[in-house]
Amino acid sequence: MSAPPVLALRGVTKRYRNGTLANAGIDLELRPGEIFGLLGPNGAGKTTLVRQVLGLARPTSGTITLDGVDIVADPGFARRNIGFLPQGTFDLQSLTVAETIEFAARLRGIPPRAARAAAARLIERLDLGPFRGTAMRSASGGVRRLAGFAAAIAAPARLLVLDEPTNDVDPLRRVLLWELISELGRGGATILLVTHNLAEAERVIDRLAIMNAGRIVREGTPAALRSIVTERLRLELAAAGTLTPHPALVPDGAGAYLFDAADLPRVAAWVSRLRELGTVLDFRIGPPTLDDIYAAAMAPAAAGRPGPGLAIEGATA
Amino acid sequence: MTFLRQYRDLVSMELRSMRGEVPIIAAVQIGFMVGFVFGFGYLIPGITESTALYIVTGTATQGVVTMGLVMLPQLLAQSKHEGRLDYYLSMPISREAYLLALVTAVGVMALPGIFFCLAVGAWRYDLALELHPLLPVAILLGVGSLAGVGIAMAVYSRHPQLTNALTQLIIFYVLFFAPVLMPREQLPAALRETARFAPPTYAADAIRATSTDLPGTHLGTSLAIMALFALGSIALSALAIRRRG
Ligand SMILES: Nc1ncnc2c1ncn2[C@@H]1O[C@H](COP(=O)(O)OP(=O)(O)OP(=O)(O)O)[C@@H](O)[C@H]1O
Ligand SMILES: [Mg+2]
Repeated sequence: MSAPPVLALRGVTKRYRNGTLANAGIDLELRPGEIFGLLGPNGAGKTTLVRQVLGLARPTSGTITLDGVDIVADPGFARRNIGFLPQGTFDLQSLTVAETIEFAARLRGIPPRAARAAAARLIERLDLGPFRGTAMRSASGGVRRLAGFAAAIAAPARLLVLDEPTNDVDPLRRVLLWELISELGRGGATILLVTHNLAEAERVIDRLAIMNAGRIVREGTPAALRSIVTERLRLELAAAGTLTPHPALVPDGAGAYLFDAADLPRVAAWVSRLRELGTVLDFRIGPPTLDDIYAAAMAPAAAGRPGPGLAIEGATA
Repeated sequence: MTFLRQYRDLVSMELRSMRGEVPIIAAVQIGFMVGFVFGFGYLIPGITESTALYIVTGTATQGVVTMGLVMLPQLLAQSKHEGRLDYYLSMPISREAYLLALVTAVGVMALPGIFFCLAVGAWRYDLALELHPLLPVAILLGVGSLAGVGIAMAVYSRHPQLTNALTQLIIFYVLFFAPVLMPREQLPAALRETARFAPPTYAADAIRATSTDLPGTHLGTSLAIMALFALGSIALSALAIRRRG
């Protein structure tokens, strides 16, 4: 139906030498211009997957292609065409923040002057000016992360692979980082984004996959995935005293209840009456967020456990 | 040409990334070289000119060993452990260009020490050094062979601790059991044999051949064997980092 995928993984399985099965038959396609989120708990196998795409690890079985080229056989093709931010400390010792970005661009074939200009522009965009001359080894965790991110995007690439770009980054600079990512996306870049930061990633990603124990357990657009868990909603309320909950409510932690979406009119009527009476001081009813989809995917038994997204909040005035 | 451009960029990158270490390296190199050159003088009263020449050229060689077979493998093992090596390997660069750049950076940092050591030694023992035009080649191949083997050590050992342990052993071996600070004839037969397979033997021989008139050196052979060690170890290391886990 659509253009051929930029990146395609078929049946990718990775068993480490110590026997750990980190990827167990991964099928994945990234379409041109797509920002694809890869989520999953610690140890799910996300970094393992990414390292195989870069040719830093070899799949035990399965195929990986980039623009149709078998990059398991030709990892050089992957390296020439992928901008990469590895997970973990990004530290090039005494190289400064500016040099780290500049050399990344140069090693990707950008001439020295253009590389310097690219570094200057990214330093500006990510508000790294004060740290331009800081040695990477003495830079803070977030600054290193941002420098690594800038290094990954300093030269144009067919595909960007970012393994947890927002780790350790402060909220204001995270905004700048997400801005750059969505700008790259609008500019047509294809991006594979590994993240634990669902609430923020949700705004930029087009599709996502949730991994658990080496497998993809959910895949789709945020909207499509959200519909999986919309049958249930979550009510959080602050009460002035004890109250007898509405029969449709199932307790879910202190001051929180889950209920069937079909019961929304009755629950809303009940809670706003109590609010008028002063028994309920404040309340909110939320639709599911990516966090909820995530939680549902991890523990199917708890499916439909909505989070704090705001559909109806406070008094129904 | 891409190879040369990458090599140039990588050398510049490596030198800059190691510049934080330069003061410590310089202090350690100067300290141990002055210590050796003077210390052996106290240890061996009435030192002969020939012994002094062995000590001075051997100490200069030991300086290259410290850089190529001790510091470099330790730094590289650390890079491997901390994921820095993976970052370089995820870049579209030639593996050989990267490894050669490492050797070059170490060579640049080892160079001043060698001349410093020869100068201090000549002054302390009032030696007339006979500098040969091939001295730079001897140093170049000395660094290449020792650093090449150092890289292979780091690339092939599973843990940084293993690399570190190996480098400690190498220091002792070169100090007391190799024909570096002493003539080959002073070693027992078994050590004379093992010395054949140890690259410091040839680095010491070539440096002696190109800076002194001591007899019994084999410049041509030593240069050839060092070239083999350098190329062989870099090829083996490139192979290892190309093979993926
Ligand atoms: N080099 C290795 N050798 C053996 N096992 C490994 C290796 N690297 C990772 N693993 C194991 O593979 C599994 C997947 O790890 P991976 O790093 O891919 O997870 P992840 O999804 O990226 O986790 P996180 O969110 O914590 O980064 C884990 O069980 C991990 O312990
Ligand atoms: Mg990971």
